[in-house]
Amino acid sequence: MSNLESHLGTELVSGDPGEEPLGPDVGDVSEDSPRKGIEVPLGGPTVVVQDLSVHYRVPVSARPDGRTEEQGRGRAVLRRLGWSRSVTVRAVRQVSFVVRSGESVGVVGHNGSGKSTLLRVIAGLETPTHGRVFASSTPAFLGINAALLPELSGRQNVRIGLLAMGKTPPEVQRLMSDVVTLADIGDSIDLPMKTYSTGMAGRLRFAISASARPDILLIDEALAAGDAASKERAEARMAEIRKEAGTIFLVSHAAQTIEEMCTRAIWLHQGELIADGPAYETARAYRWWAWNVAKGEHDKATGLLEDARARRTETPPPPAPPAPTAKRNP
Amino acid sequence: MSSATADRIIEVNGSPVDISGLRPVGTRAPLPAYVRDMWSRRYFIWADAHARAFSSNRDMLLGNGWMIGRPLLDGLAFFLVFGVMLGTSKGVDNYIGWLLVGVYIFSFTTRSLSGGAAAMAAGRNLIRAFPFPRATVPMAMVVREVISTFPVITMMLIMIAAIPPHASITWRWLLFLPVLVLQSMFNAGLVFYAARITAAIPDARLLIGFLTRFWMYGSGVMFSLDRFVSHPRLLAILELNPLYCVIELSRDLLVYGTTPDPKLWVTLSLWAVFTPLIGFLYFWQGEESYARE
Repeated sequence: MSNLESHLGTELVSGDPGEEPLGPDVGDVSEDSPRKGIEVPLGGPTVVVQDLSVHYRVPVSARPDGRTEEQGRGRAVLRRLGWSRSVTVRAVRQVSFVVRSGESVGVVGHNGSGKSTLLRVIAGLETPTHGRVFASSTPAFLGINAALLPELSGRQNVRIGLLAMGKTPPEVQRLMSDVVTLADIGDSIDLPMKTYSTGMAGRLRFAISASARPDILLIDEALAAGDAASKERAEARMAEIRKEAGTIFLVSHAAQTIEEMCTRAIWLHQGELIADGPAYETARAYRWWAWNVAKGEHDKATGLLEDARARRTETPPPPAPPAPTAKRNP
Repeated sequence: MSSATADRIIEVNGSPVDISGLRPVGTRAPLPAYVRDMWSRRYFIWADAHARAFSSNRDMLLGNGWMIGRPLLDGLAFFLVFGVMLGTSKGVDNYIGWLLVGVYIFSFTTRSLSGGAAAMAAGRNLIRAFPFPRATVPMAMVVREVISTFPVITMMLIMIAAIPPHASITWRWLLFLPVLVLQSMFNAGLVFYAARITAAIPDARLLIGFLTRFWMYGSGVMFSLDRFVSHPRLLAILELNPLYCVIELSRDLLVYGTTPDPKLWVTLSLWAVFTPLIGFLYFWQGEESYARE
């Protein structure tokens, strides 16, 4: 479990703002109606992940255990050509699930648990080692990178972004005010995007992607920087997308965000799917586990993991609701 | 029929799932759908090209004045060195006009080529943020270079008419337009190749600059080919070079007001049709790889 400790170490150092320490009474679900994701009727499958595994070949010099080995240029060339000692890191291990339109799926897990890798495979930005991913359309992906075209103003970036997503100039004109309102970055919209803070850039990028109404929207921690008001607007917009038969994925290591914004959650630990169920219960179970890890209760944490695994094997994954025939309400 | 239906049902976690209407992610669209997708992004191509062409001088005090200023200074440098200081003609009529056309026309292709080599890196943020056919990125680079080459060509026309011995303006100047179109088409092909190769091997960018220098001598930009190539067969091969064709056609039409050899038109047209076609297919084949790290 030395790996567990190293995860714990990074987690403590990074200081997670969204995760206030939880007492042992976390398991109590019935306390004064907590905020939960907005439910909308579900449709047919939009994302199908079948037996997905992603392995990385990491050169021995860059071992995760921190031991290093001198590495020259020659070795780098050899590595590219495939002649180097390397170890395999299993970032995602045999993960399977089906997501239907209308769902908002949160992915929780510690740093390095494979959350972002999973999302990037669904976005088509990475090739799986094994398994398949199907989607109803090319997903739009919101990653953590900053500006789009740093030299251009926010407004020009909105225009180019919307056109890139296949909108026509009249549509862009119609959507422009909507994007500006949703992004809510004030007069900065006319400044070059390179002057934006990470939070502002993230909000603008979210506003662009969300206003283009993609069928599938993948979000990697992009909303973590938003304040309460912008978070609420973002959530309302995400619910709108889902009502129009869309699907949302949200990756965050702040389990509270997942609890509040999602209807379903997936818990990954070292690439393995530990739990897959309603957002509130899954995120709570994860937080309870994370709290025990943080307190140094490793035996208890391991026990909780075992419990979650056992629950998963005895009860099959959440029953897929029957796809309604008359779907896609106008 | 039944096997096709069976393909549409897969088993996930022990229960069957109907995946009709779903597509495997991260795979490129079939060519007709891809081309249709490209067409629906035509406004994006234009907007991206336009924005980048006019924002590249943003840090300069004179801003977009440099779109005209830079070619003007380049031309003046050649005029001063070859026309005033050296005063050489190298046995070529109107050597200054001959040289200016060669340099400006050649630079249109080399700028497109180096732009293509940097296109995927420059478009990385957009590529990772939005789903769209990736060939729009090199395509926008082609359009961008066409936009920024307009002031350059205008400057060139003004200079060859103004600098003595003046090139006379004839109706043949109109035929220069199709030459530019053919050259742009050829450039588009080069950009597709350069974009895919440098996306896979970034080091190739340096190699391109190196090879361009040889290409310049092989295209008769500063010295005419027959001055240092005496072997007739080698000369015939060098004359198949598309840039040699573009430059010779332009010189005949603009500087000397003569009707060019039809062989030049045919050779250039073949290059202009097949290079972009094959380049586009080559780029499309690598579609899955461009968003990866």
